[in-house]
Amino acid sequence: MIGRHFRFAGLLGVAVAAFALVPRLGGDYAIGVALNLLMWIALTQSWVVLSAMTGYVSLGHAVFFGAGAYVMVLCFGSLPFWLSVIVAGAATGALALAVGYPCLRVRGPYFVILTFGLAELVKFVVINIEAGLGQFGRLLFGGPGLAQIFYVVLVLAALSVAVTWFVRRSRFGRGLRAIRENEEAAETLGIDVARFKVLAFALSAIVPGMVGAAMVLRTTYFEPLDLFNPITSFTIVSIAIIGGGDDVPGPIYGAFFLVLMQELLWANWPEVYMILLGGLLVAFVLGVPDGIHGRVAAWRRSRR
Amino acid sequence: MTLLELRGVGRRFGGVVAVDAMDMTVDEGEILGLMGANGAGKTTLFALIAGNLRPSAGEIHFRGWRIDGLRPDRVSRLGVARAFQIVRPFAGLSVLENVAVGSLFGTGRERSIRRAEERAMAVLEEVGLAARAADPAGTLTLAGRKRLEIARALATRPRLLLLDEVMAGLTPVEVSEALDMIQALRQRHGLTIIVIEHVMRALMRLCERLVVLHHGVKIAEGPPGEIAADPRVIEAYLGRARE
Repeated sequence: MIGRHFRFAGLLGVAVAAFALVPRLGGDYAIGVALNLLMWIALTQSWVVLSAMTGYVSLGHAVFFGAGAYVMVLCFGSLPFWLSVIVAGAATGALALAVGYPCLRVRGPYFVILTFGLAELVKFVVINIEAGLGQFGRLLFGGPGLAQIFYVVLVLAALSVAVTWFVRRSRFGRGLRAIRENEEAAETLGIDVARFKVLAFALSAIVPGMVGAAMVLRTTYFEPLDLFNPITSFTIVSIAIIGGGDDVPGPIYGAFFLVLMQELLWANWPEVYMILLGGLLVAFVLGVPDGIHGRVAAWRRSRR
Repeated sequence: MTLLELRGVGRRFGGVVAVDAMDMTVDEGEILGLMGANGAGKTTLFALIAGNLRPSAGEIHFRGWRIDGLRPDRVSRLGVARAFQIVRPFAGLSVLENVAVGSLFGTGRERSIRRAEERAMAVLEEVGLAARAADPAGTLTLAGRKRLEIARALATRPRLLLLDEVMAGLTPVEVSEALDMIQALRQRHGLTIIVIEHVMRALMRLCERLVVLHHGVKIAEGPPGEIAADPRVIEAYLGRARE
């Protein structure tokens, strides 16, 4: 048991060290690709803690990304960069706690639509606040450089991987998975399902808020329509489906796969990129419902 | 000593009265049988005791605490476990993981996963599912799922076990095995058990006392021999004889 945790910590350390070399060895393009990869890993790991473990599929995780970015905008210039990132995480965690209890009372497709609606709602609230303040897009000059943003997102990706790992192997995670399999049975066996679900929701909101706060500085421009983009939510779900499972490897496989596709297709055939991505998603849902992780696990079992 | 007491417990769904002004006591260590035709309100009564439903009237006391209106997880923590009539396995988890959920939560609330799984394994030995521990729960047969349902409830370390038709759909040999198992479990764990069963012979063999429900109302109560001869029970089950 303990040995397993050490092995995981070792692997994670090696991976973080390898990624930390990217800004030293690669140019801006390499840093950009690696940053993109780390961002999707961080967002999808966080989503897994709620949606893959409890079965409550969030189609609105862009709300935390966008809200985190907005917190950064509001703190910009008055707080140090790293402190703003932490404030953003605390704020999105609190947002999830506040909306979690009413949202998590509905299940299945209702929850999916509710999260989507919530993200759109918050987006338009922010747009209106900005319009009321007389702001139409904000420029964020004098922020940290690309390498600094990269290191922050690297830490966040590592954090999200560690959270998924420990939750998946904890008593709390057992409770979440029981809720996914049968909520009434879980409740009758003594699990406080309302509390567990809200805690998972909050836990899944913190890292995306911090990632949003860091990533908005990369574009140096805050535009609500970009930062609360529903495509972000769809991409997280796509990565989770392609990667498969309710554990650490799925989001990593999925994010590698998606970023590879982006680099190959986006660079060469940007006009068909979304079509191909849609086709791939359909193929995975129909043909490989357990995702890359499920296939890899089956292959390893067959070799034993 | 009285473990569970129901005072005037009722539950209506809109205009339908599922359980009406029910008074009932269950003593520590006894096996009480609940009988009645389909729709008599037996399963509703279990849902009321376990906290899955709130009573519309009356009070439920368990070990001196008032438990009506408490959430199911609170009731479970106090020592009530319910095995569902329609089995609800965690199909995507292994048999062992299913039972370990019971030992991690419920009354025992084991904090360590390793110890919870050891305890779960011991329960699986008792119900004869140890060989299937690593299999996904979805692969069990009906008889296996019924045993899993009991094992999971038992792993919460309850004082009171509610068994809802855990023998329905089993072959006579399986029923006989299940009866032996339930009696053995009761003795080893000092359990108090309420059993809902349609298999009359099983109830007669297992229970010291029977309660008969008809359209949500208790119509008879007593030892099995008396109940079998009670004209109201015969009427409820078979209808009135023609003059």
